[in-house]
Amino acid sequence: MEKEMIYHPLFILVLVVLSFMLLVCLIRAVKGPRVADRLMAVNMMGTMVMVMISVLALLFQESYLVDICLIYAMISFLSVVVISKVYIGIYEEQHHNQEHVEGGNTDERS
Amino acid sequence: MSAVDWIRLVIGSLFVLAGIVIFFTELYGVFHFKYVLNRMHAAAMGDTLGISACLIGLMIFSGLNFTTLKMFLVIVFLWFASPVSSHVLSRLEAATNDNLAAHCEIYEDVEVLDRELIAAKADKNSEEKEASAL
Repeated sequence: MEKEMIYHPLFILVLVVLSFMLLVCLIRAVKGPRVADRLMAVNMMGTMVMVMISVLALLFQESYLVDICLIYAMISFLSVVVISKVYIGIYEEQHHNQEHVEGGNTDERS
Repeated sequence: MSAVDWIRLVIGSLFVLAGIVIFFTELYGVFHFKYVLNRMHAAAMGDTLGISACLIGLMIFSGLNFTTLKMFLVIVFLWFASPVSSHVLSRLEAATNDNLAAHCEIYEDVEVLDRELIAAKADKNSEEKEASAL
């Protein structure tokens, strides 16, 4: 009983501090001038959420929450890689289209 | 609570506190730097060092069981995944930024960079030799 009296307030303090940091990360994700800024902020938020899930696992004494943490790590890594690749593809496609349109215009002028 | 429990509580709290301080440093760095490639340096620190410190503290709290093993797996996975995601993000930035040269020095040819690095190394070596001779 005495052990819980000490651990519970400690875990709740850690959770509160981490949630404030999460909000600050969200500000960076909204403000970020470039796409890479936003992706980086989302990655940081993922890291903090992983710590929060692990703290919750110890707070509720539920071991399966750490499994969720592991899967969260994998999905957040996968999402960063996939979104970066997709965005590079979209950017190159737009660039290619612009060059094509500009080329068409010069042809009409001549 | 026995003495061992108190020691575990203190050491674990120190680790968790260190992790939170590292997260705070990460946030400060992300708002302090002006460009993504600089910010990434601060952000990658929290991904590996911050979460390792926090989870090692939690591992000390939980003792020897399967929860500890899973937390260790999370740390090991992030050590592999975080550099890769940072690399992919910086490639995204380098591929989509049209005036990258305004923010950093660009070498079109890697051999030029190699030559400059070798020259800088030679300079440093000669300076060290002079210093030791003096």
